[in-house]
Amino acid sequence: MNRPTSIKLPALGIDVGAKPLRTRGRSGSIVKVEQVGEGSIEEVLDRSAYSNINADWVNAKGAWLIHVVLICIGKLIIDTVPGMTQQISWTLVNLFYLALSYLMFHWVTGIPFHNDLHGGAYDDLTLWEQIDDGAQYTPAKKWLFILPITLFLASTHYTNYNPWLFSVNISALVLVLIPKLPQLHRRRVRLVHDDLSGMATPTTPGFPSGASTPSSLRDITEAHFR
Amino acid sequence: MTMMSQSVDAFVEGLSSFLNSIPGSAVLVRYVKSSHQNDPGRTVLELLLVAFAIFTLLQSRTRADRSGKHFIQFEEKEIDELVDEWKPEPLAEPLNDVEASDLAAVPIIIGQTGPKPTLARQPSKIIANLASYNFTGLAGKEVIKERAIETLRKYGLGSCGPPGFYGTLDVHMQLERDIADFLGTEAAIIYSQGFSTISSVIPAFCKRGDIIVADRGVNFAIQKGIQISRSSVRWFDHNDLKSLEDVLDSVEKERKKRRAPLTRRFIITEGIFEKDGAMIDLPKLIDIKYRKKYRLILDESISFGTVGRTGRGLTELYNVPAAKVDMLIGSMANGLCAGGGFCAGSQNVIAHQQINGPSFVFSASMPALLAVSASEGIDILRSTPSILTKLQQNVRTARSLLDELDCISIPSHSASPIIHLHIRKPAAGLLHPGSPSLGGGHSLKPSNPTSILPREASKWDWDIETEERALQQVVEEALKRGVMITRAKRLRGQEMVEARPSIKLALTSELSTDEVKKAIKVVAQALKDVLRK
Repeated sequence: MNRPTSIKLPALGIDVGAKPLRTRGRSGSIVKVEQVGEGSIEEVLDRSAYSNINADWVNAKGAWLIHVVLICIGKLIIDTVPGMTQQISWTLVNLFYLALSYLMFHWVTGIPFHNDLHGGAYDDLTLWEQIDDGAQYTPAKKWLFILPITLFLASTHYTNYNPWLFSVNISALVLVLIPKLPQLHRRRVRLVHDDLSGMATPTTPGFPSGASTPSSLRDITEAHFR
Repeated sequence: MTMMSQSVDAFVEGLSSFLNSIPGSAVLVRYVKSSHQNDPGRTVLELLLVAFAIFTLLQSRTRADRSGKHFIQFEEKEIDELVDEWKPEPLAEPLNDVEASDLAAVPIIIGQTGPKPTLARQPSKIIANLASYNFTGLAGKEVIKERAIETLRKYGLGSCGPPGFYGTLDVHMQLERDIADFLGTEAAIIYSQGFSTISSVIPAFCKRGDIIVADRGVNFAIQKGIQISRSSVRWFDHNDLKSLEDVLDSVEKERKKRRAPLTRRFIITEGIFEKDGAMIDLPKLIDIKYRKKYRLILDESISFGTVGRTGRGLTELYNVPAAKVDMLIGSMANGLCAGGGFCAGSQNVIAHQQINGPSFVFSASMPALLAVSASEGIDILRSTPSILTKLQQNVRTARSLLDELDCISIPSHSASPIIHLHIRKPAAGLLHPGSPSLGGGHSLKPSNPTSILPREASKWDWDIETEERALQQVVEEALKRGVMITRAKRLRGQEMVEARPSIKLALTSELSTDEVKKAIKVVAQALKDVLRK
């Protein structure tokens, strides 16, 4: 082939120096959505060096069935409590499942096992974001998506909720479904007051050094969210 | 109208009878009825949920994060084009002109190196070797040679493994004890290569999330160690303790603002900087460290074995107990003319590195004869402090002669055994990276701590190529007249900030004062001849 290629290969920017600043500009809103996990080349390397057993177990044998088993056991135990009506029992099962799965998948960040193999690269990510290396709509994620919905539909089928309990259940379900959406991958919703960012792990400190900070680094633009 | 409604009725009847004939339809109908429970609002919400669930199920899988940003999606045609156009690069690129001339200019020594080596090319006899690191003349000492040969006969050459896996010999442990005893610390640990010592100690202690405050003029090995450690790094101006305090304050302020938990914090600097020979003020640094509660990692690769009454380094020079430095790194390759490096500190610091020091765990330990040479070197230094006095005298002599020249500027400390010579520009007042910021610097705006380049970096205007060529001419001129000197060799394109080209003189105690005077006069003459042109 003699004709020159018109494809431009972008230079792989291995930024050896300072990590980008992430000072937030002033904002008047109460709720903020922040991006975590910068995805720099070093973080990518640290994540891919070893397989992450803390997130791979959701694809293992029996990891899907265990949800159903635990829900059934939970329902049986709750039913044995004297004075339990079907309404309260199903509500409790629903809420406990949602609460525990939210805690496990969307609240706790970092990895409990083999932490030193990854050098802290997963410290900012919840289990949901670690599953399948952050790919969306994988089988495991689809199952974990469908399960709370199915549980909710089963519970409304088998009982006759009064409007309060129904609204409690459905709002809990919607709240737990929101962080599972791919649009919220690696984003955190924070209630902001007084300009604090309050992240759990100290990453790159933002330096509002005033005149010496180059202004291109001061504001987060839409480009950062793409 | 009635005809239309009649036909619609008939259609609906037909549809329902057809549906009823499907087996299991009754179950479905019953299910829907009981789910509906006469509440249409509820049913709508549930139907929306079901629709959303089905929508989710039908989505296809997206690509993982790992390959996301750095993966370029090409089409088949483009891939084929790229593959066709690809030409493999040669395994070894042919040298360009500069590299070829550099290689040709490297002097070849016949036999043993020393203060007056014999060269393969003209001139064969050299009157002074000011290029090799032989500060206290331990290279080629007969005593050390005999002990090394004895050790070679006893242990063989290689150590056959990392220290943790059958690679530790009794001579290694003896050397560790000797170093700890010599410096006055609790314990010491040996690494088999001087470069990888500091770049293993840093990642052993500093992890992602920790804070490192490092000097802007640290050497390449420290830069690599910091990069490996993945810590957040802030830079302070070269050899400027006021700037250090400012950066420490700003780090603390920022941490308070974010209400982040307290993590480990380190100050990393060198005793005598390899890049330009500047020396730090150790007592003041230790005072700052205790006040701000940081740990100090001090790289004494150049200053161990060369400063102080018996060569113990900066701690002896400033009369500071070595236990006050948390991790004291030194080089036996530079200071003791043996090989490898060490880290001295408390028992915990050393025990931690035995498991977590990357080079200690994964690299082979040093040969026994080098360990024995280092131990002998320490004995010699301990027992003959006159060597150090001689070295300091030679340094003073050399500096007094070199300071008179106006074509060069010297960023090195007056007691530093390595002397860097920069070409002095005719225009005065331009700072280069080696110089500590003067008193006037405090009135300027402080440099951005997140960037390794200081604020004056925009004013740097030296041309690396031109200066390297000029300095190479100086080196060759001096070599013609019998004095072996060298440029400071750098990995261009690899360091975080490019160092200014310089000539690096390494003084030695083996030359007499007259010989040093003669050699430095030759160097000065060569400088004048080349740079005046």
